[in-house]
Amino acid sequence: MRKRHPVPGLLIPVSMETDMPAVQETIDRVRKIDVDQYKYGFETLIEMDVAPKGLNEDIIRLISTKKNEPQWMLDWRLKAFERWKTMESPDWARLDYPPIDFQDIHYYAAPKSMSGPASLDEVDPEILRTYEKLGIPLKEQEILAGVRKADEPSEFDDNSDTPPAEGSYSGRVAVDAVFDSVSVATTFKKELQKAGVIFMPISEAIREHPELVQKYLGSVVPISDNFFATMNSAVFTDGSFVYVPKGVRCPMELSTYFRINERNTGQFERTLIIADEGSYVSYLEGCTAPQRDENQLHAAVVELVALGDAEIKYSTVQNWYPGDKDGKGGIYNFVTKRGDCRGANSRISWTQVETGSAITWKYPSCILRGDNSRGEFYSIAVSNGRQQIDSGTKMIHLGKNTSSRIISKGISAGNSSNTYRGQVSAHRKASNARNFTQCDSLLIGEECGAHTVPYIESKNATAQFEHEATTSKISEDQLFYCMQRGIPEEEAVALIVNGFVKDVIQQLPMEFAVEAQKLIGISLEGSVG
Amino acid sequence: MSVVTELKTRTPAETQLLQLAEARGENENARRPAIEALRRDGLPTRKVEAWHYTDLRALVGRRIKDDAAVASLKAGDDAILEPLLANSVVICLDDPVSAHLPDGVMATSSSSVADWQASPNHLDRSIDTIRALSAAFGASSAKIAVSSKTSVDTPIELRPAAGSDSHFYAQVSVGEGASATFVERLEGDGSPAPSTGVSTLTIADRANVLWIVDQEKGAEASHLGQLNVTIGADAVFRLFVLNAGGGLVRYEVHAETVGEGADVQIRGANLLKDGQHVDVTTTLNHRVPNTTATETFRNVVTGGHGVFQGMIKVAKGAQKTDAKMACNSLLLSDEGDFSAKPELEIFADDVQCGHGATAGEIDADHLFYLMSRGIPEATARALLVKAFLGEVVEELEDEAIVEALEARIDTWLDTHA
Amino acid sequence: MLEIKNLHARVADEGTEILRGVNLTIEAGEVAAIMGPNGSGKSTLSYILAGREDYEVTEGDILYNGESVLEMDPAERAAAGLFLAFQYPLEIPGVATMTFLKTALNAQRKARGEAELTTPDFMRKVKASAEELKIAPDMLKRPLNVGFSGGEKKRAEILQMALLEPKLCIMDETDSGLDIDALKIVSDGVNALRSEERAFLVITHYQRLLDYIVPDTVHVLYKGRIIKTGDKNLALQLENEGYAQIVDEAA
Repeated sequence: MRKRHPVPGLLIPVSMETDMPAVQETIDRVRKIDVDQYKYGFETLIEMDVAPKGLNEDIIRLISTKKNEPQWMLDWRLKAFERWKTMESPDWARLDYPPIDFQDIHYYAAPKSMSGPASLDEVDPEILRTYEKLGIPLKEQEILAGVRKADEPSEFDDNSDTPPAEGSYSGRVAVDAVFDSVSVATTFKKELQKAGVIFMPISEAIREHPELVQKYLGSVVPISDNFFATMNSAVFTDGSFVYVPKGVRCPMELSTYFRINERNTGQFERTLIIADEGSYVSYLEGCTAPQRDENQLHAAVVELVALGDAEIKYSTVQNWYPGDKDGKGGIYNFVTKRGDCRGANSRISWTQVETGSAITWKYPSCILRGDNSRGEFYSIAVSNGRQQIDSGTKMIHLGKNTSSRIISKGISAGNSSNTYRGQVSAHRKASNARNFTQCDSLLIGEECGAHTVPYIESKNATAQFEHEATTSKISEDQLFYCMQRGIPEEEAVALIVNGFVKDVIQQLPMEFAVEAQKLIGISLEGSVG
Repeated sequence: MSVVTELKTRTPAETQLLQLAEARGENENARRPAIEALRRDGLPTRKVEAWHYTDLRALVGRRIKDDAAVASLKAGDDAILEPLLANSVVICLDDPVSAHLPDGVMATSSSSVADWQASPNHLDRSIDTIRALSAAFGASSAKIAVSSKTSVDTPIELRPAAGSDSHFYAQVSVGEGASATFVERLEGDGSPAPSTGVSTLTIADRANVLWIVDQEKGAEASHLGQLNVTIGADAVFRLFVLNAGGGLVRYEVHAETVGEGADVQIRGANLLKDGQHVDVTTTLNHRVPNTTATETFRNVVTGGHGVFQGMIKVAKGAQKTDAKMACNSLLLSDEGDFSAKPELEIFADDVQCGHGATAGEIDADHLFYLMSRGIPEATARALLVKAFLGEVVEELEDEAIVEALEARIDTWLDTHA
Repeated sequence: MLEIKNLHARVADEGTEILRGVNLTIEAGEVAAIMGPNGSGKSTLSYILAGREDYEVTEGDILYNGESVLEMDPAERAAAGLFLAFQYPLEIPGVATMTFLKTALNAQRKARGEAELTTPDFMRKVKASAEELKIAPDMLKRPLNVGFSGGEKKRAEILQMALLEPKLCIMDETDSGLDIDALKIVSDGVNALRSEERAFLVITHYQRLLDYIVPDTVHVLYKGRIIKTGDKNLALQLENEGYAQIVDEAA
């Protein structure tokens, strides 16, 4: 189906074992992830400025000082810390991991050569090489992620039923590159400024646009929201800030690329995107980390605010290091992502492709506050090896005539556990709320689990909710049919799986769509054979 | 971060329930451990996932506010009832031996209490709340057995003890190749302190059982019920749950297939009005290959809080399981709400499992169609609501049973909808 | 081209023997028909030729151009030129027919060491074949076989056959579920593909199909064995007399 050339970017290749009997039984097709093949598991050797381990007031003051923050920001952090000390780690998710020692983590790590964002010329060449190796050229003339060039044909071209998502394809992507605790470069800043779009590291925005940050930070995910969000509020180090002014259609895709590099270091980024009235922005997020034996913590918060008639499209391809075949190492990913459709007719859409992380705990949600607002959640979650995923969404209908749509596709292989957890609720005043949920799971092999836990809550008689969930496997009949037409088994599986996830892939901006399809195929490589 | 487990402060209602249990006197030894477990753990809150939508601690607390509420426990006033199905034989669960039973059916009284420490249902705590309450109160205990290869044509109606502080524990077994129909009749004014009813039903290979739950308790009554079923090879278990009464009601069904070819068919109707909290929680546990299950609940809500939690579990190795679940709710007023949590927990890859849930009002197109044929709106609405419920009742096929249940439903609709 | 020698096969899971010593030879350019009552093993034979794992060959061999195919997986057999037109073509949600065709075609070309087709060349090829089979371009954009009518599915099978240019075409009850017009379209498609280098194995229940696709040889399969072989007149005889007579003769 596709060429198997090594694709730079966001992939988890897994090896092929050769000693398996060529038996068709699904169980024999299950093979282990061999993470030696995780292409992004390398480590950048660079002198780092690392704060001592532990989470306490001193560390928070240190972070705040390193970032040259105003007093109000420090106060905000300390308030969050006070709150966090009274909270307990949530245990309701279907995840099994040993207790995390929050005092055994570095909360700040930055390359010595730079203490904050710099212009491209000032970036340490070693870091530039790192991003090059990851397929993220930090040069303004190239597009993101080493995917095809703008004029390169792809299989999507002969496929008229998969048009690129509307308005998503500009061919150019502005990148904010976050390396451990700091943003090392942000491209296309000047060009974006011309359109009035603010796109910069949040640490910079706190200094340069305090009025916007103060107004919106914590307005969607309050300081006290949940254990991990509260911790993030206390110790967040960097992340992206986006403001799209009234009536502006952001002229290019914006993206942030997160890289955890330093050992024993957590990454706690904070992203805040505000789409003012009538504006539009599409934002992409990618992530990788080196391969290490110990687990590393990633606890991010993303807040989206869509004012009247505004639209935000947020896409993620999550490819954190998943750990080895025995479940050793890998990223613990505890993320709070929430969008607030604050104005009438606003729209927020989350699309995620999850292939990495040892643990994923993540529920990108929409608060449908404005009348006629719309929330969407499209998700593909692939688990293999010993990965555990508990992910889904919340659609909270508050306004009148609000609508939401959830398409979730879970694929479990190996010894993994893959749970969809989603809440749809209609407030008493949410007349004519509409939700459609389709939640499908595919199992590959007998050692994995697929679970579906929806919470459907209606308090309004005119609200209409429809929820459907199915669990199935790749049918032997479909596989045989494809193979009879000459398609080798592993490609046949990838083809069928890509058909299974197509509804979601279609929602991704073109650059990511091609990438995501390859990524899914490669993530499952070795799970069949 | 170290987690400090704090001792919960007991609510006044919890204290009173414990006092009530202490005051029961008889069968002390069997009850003691359950009382202590309750003293330790209290009633579950919504933080316990299995009680996510039914915060028992708060709900019971709200109902037992003072001693007066507990005092009213003694004031039972159960009228003499006609059985739900004509020609039924009635077994009073506190006096099972006195019933005149058909051939092949045995009923005895027993001193055992519900097995509250054995396999708590999904996501509940280390103890099973309803079974623990039943054990703590020392339910009147009965054993009913249907001999193998016996086809019992007479429906058997099971009735809790007269008096509203009733707690029963029924152990029912249906032998190989036998068939029987049971009606669990939950009636009476009841009291704010919850009554409990726990049944175990063991269905042997190739047996066929229809179990009907008819819950029409008074508006003040709190009731916690549980039916635990194991289904043998090629056996059929059919269940119909009708909830058309009660103030605070939770009915749990935990069905487990233990033999290949077992078939489970669960249907139910929950009718809710203002002031009620009605929760139906089911788990379908597929433990062996080649079993099938279908489950459909229809809910009509004119007020109050309705809850459906349904779990389909497929154990590792239980290949070729085919299980479908649906929960459809009609909300007739903004005064009521309905929450559904249909879950799948799948550990085998060659299965067909699915669930669907819908919530909404009466279909406007259907209503328009009927009205365009000259049917007045109120009549048309009533017709559509009846049809919505009728669909699940009629699947029982037996004409007399369908009629009996539809009569109960119609009575409710005529009064409340 | 195809030589089936004393082929015994059973259902892998349960061990029920279905083929009990099938012997059959088909030459290049030949159209062979296999007929037989329900349960005689016709479909099983087609699956085993294509390499379905649900069946286990316990004895005998299948030689294709002189070499045994038993150790080859279905994709390898397909690349070698073996094509099975399914009685019930599978639906594959989300996979556009076009994508599927291109994937299959290029996988086969690659396996044979040929260059992959460019997108424009591929499009031209599909368009031409589709027109002949009266397949609307819209149908090709839809997910593979999803929502296709019975007739559309069968036409799509023949389209795949035309595109993949196999050497040996096995057609499993291609006539089932077709009305007379669709039958004609499908048959014309098949006849257009007949050539000196290509052989057909046409499995059918009814003589009707053989009016349109005239066979060189007709074989009767009964209880897992070929019990009679003849020319096209044998099919007519079966149509008139039923299987009983021949079964008795063979017994």
